[in-house]
Amino acid sequence: MSATRAQRFLHDAAIKSADLVHREIIRHGIDSYDASVLRGRARFKDWQSARRKCQQIKQDAINHLDKYLLQFEEKVIARGGHVFWAEDAEQACTYITHVAGQLGVRNVVKSKSMVTEEIHLSPALEKLGIKVWETDLGEFIVQLRNEPPYHIVTPAMHLNRHQISDLFSEKLGERISGDDPGQLVALARRKLRQAFFSAEMGISGANFIVADAGGIAITTNEGNGRLCTSVPRIHVVVTGIEKVVPRLEDLALFWPMLATSGTGQPITTYSTLIGGPRRRGEVDGPEEFHVVLVDNGRSKLLEDAEQREVLHCIRCGACLNICPVYRHIGGHAYGTTYPGPIGSVLTPHLNGLEQFKHLSYASSLCGACTSVCPVSIDLHHHLLHNRRNAVSQGKTNFAERMSFRAWRFVVLHPRIYRLAGWLGRTTLRLLYRLGLAGSILDPMRPWNRGRAPMPLPTESFRSRWRRHLAAN
Amino acid sequence: MQPTDNPGREQILQRIGAALRTPSPHGSDAVSGEFFEPITNSLERFQQECAGNLMECTLTSDSASSALQLAKVLDSLPEGEVFVQDDPMLRQILPTANPARPIQWSSEGAPREASQATITLADALIAQTGSILVSASCGGRGASIIAPCHIVYATLAQLVPDLQTALANAYRQGILDRNSFACVISGSSRTADIEKILIQGAHGPRRLVVILQREN
Repeated sequence: MSATRAQRFLHDAAIKSADLVHREIIRHGIDSYDASVLRGRARFKDWQSARRKCQQIKQDAINHLDKYLLQFEEKVIARGGHVFWAEDAEQACTYITHVAGQLGVRNVVKSKSMVTEEIHLSPALEKLGIKVWETDLGEFIVQLRNEPPYHIVTPAMHLNRHQISDLFSEKLGERISGDDPGQLVALARRKLRQAFFSAEMGISGANFIVADAGGIAITTNEGNGRLCTSVPRIHVVVTGIEKVVPRLEDLALFWPMLATSGTGQPITTYSTLIGGPRRRGEVDGPEEFHVVLVDNGRSKLLEDAEQREVLHCIRCGACLNICPVYRHIGGHAYGTTYPGPIGSVLTPHLNGLEQFKHLSYASSLCGACTSVCPVSIDLHHHLLHNRRNAVSQGKTNFAERMSFRAWRFVVLHPRIYRLAGWLGRTTLRLLYRLGLAGSILDPMRPWNRGRAPMPLPTESFRSRWRRHLAAN
Repeated sequence: MQPTDNPGREQILQRIGAALRTPSPHGSDAVSGEFFEPITNSLERFQQECAGNLMECTLTSDSASSALQLAKVLDSLPEGEVFVQDDPMLRQILPTANPARPIQWSSEGAPREASQATITLADALIAQTGSILVSASCGGRGASIIAPCHIVYATLAQLVPDLQTALANAYRQGILDRNSFACVISGSSRTADIEKILIQGAHGPRRLVVILQREN
């Protein structure tokens, strides 16, 4: 029988958390991020008020989602663009592959877009023999490794320069002496320049859908998003329906908030607005402009008023970087498009609670994710909501239900509780003495197999408490 | 292409409409006020932010000194064609700046990949973030991204204090109704995807030069 998602998660998480090289790379990356974010936040007069303002704007956007999407659609169509509403991943991929087929596309350049990962767009295009180039450097690297992105902002965060140099040498046939990052970037630039100028179609995501101006906003530092949306003759935007902000002026706050939370920058280098295809008299730009608005479970999440605010997410990655679980197991162990706390909350809604309910437990519930979210999503409470929903909808397995029944029985009977405590301590002490800590016989195996055995108390809490009361 | 056939549109809109009949339990009081410190000296702030963004910003007094500055920048570049936004102001100063260099004007088409530099105007400059706002009317989309060096010729009158002002003006002027594209550019193209080490010139310009003229 193949392993369940939960079993695979536990297996992969155990391997990654014991991989010290991996942890050192992540520690270095996140330490550098932490320092930048502190500097970035200091540029705000009042960071907490700015978070509340962003929350308020997104509440307005999500609570009037239909109105704003229609406002956006009307403007884009009036300028000669196309807007396609995709109920699910299949509809989105079918539409895009149809456009590609009809317009004779053989080469596609893509800028980073998590929604295209979510709907598995690249494999759908490749099935038709279309060559797809990921052009964000991090995405390009993970594409060469045939891996999904490791992080929603920095997709190749788990690799060091030596690993990237070896990869380029193997896949691109050029060895960079000294593994100099500048030369590695220059090599990727040379290779991808050829792709930009030969591609017929550029595919991008959208960081924001701007309702009143009728445009999409894309932020990139590298400029690959600019080239993808400027050079090829067709531009396809793939975006979730929740990415709406009501007004262009809202970006005066959202652009700095996204950049600060994402990388610590005051603003991303290229904050681009696109409202349609090339207009008459313009020098360049795509002749075809298609926006694919992807639902894929989002309207279902909207029905859940309690968790609706999860749709406020602007995909900055701050909750991943602060999360002690993410910092230890990294992005791939989750086995989902969206890793980290936001992924653990969102994935059960998009891909099914049954298969992904275990992610609600991939958290210490410390609340760090909630504290850094730039749109103030109450992430750790939503993890609790998902846990509750899994139980109330009967998604738990037989063994789990029996274990909790047994636990309930024991805690309701003090004598049995005392006996169980004594038995547990005595058995573990014996196992430890026999050198069997972490072995298959050890009930604490999940903890003890990768660590020094957990120290055992010499007496129960109840007896210590009694002694403490007697002494005072 | 034919108008888009949209079988899912009504279903999605119906689902959204039905979902929103249940009001959200989360509400927050209206938040107002300033989220950034007010900018007292826009020029000083712009110059500071440009330095932080690794841009080159030179303040000039008039068009003659701007032409001189432009000549210096062009002299520092390798030989080859320069793409220039076809605008009377640039047509006026460019021959003085570097008469020998081959020029492709934007009226002749999009910039070629081999262009050594692009020279454009800007729609606005933003002090808060040391940014330039360009649109398709500034020589097109490729003018600010294709060449290794982008030179922007702007005047002090175009400087606005913050993003809020820049975007409010842009909306009022119907920026996306008049142009298919606009961009707030805050530095040269860069990446830190390898070990968080900052490298300039990832896919776009390695240099972003602003020649800022006091007089119109």
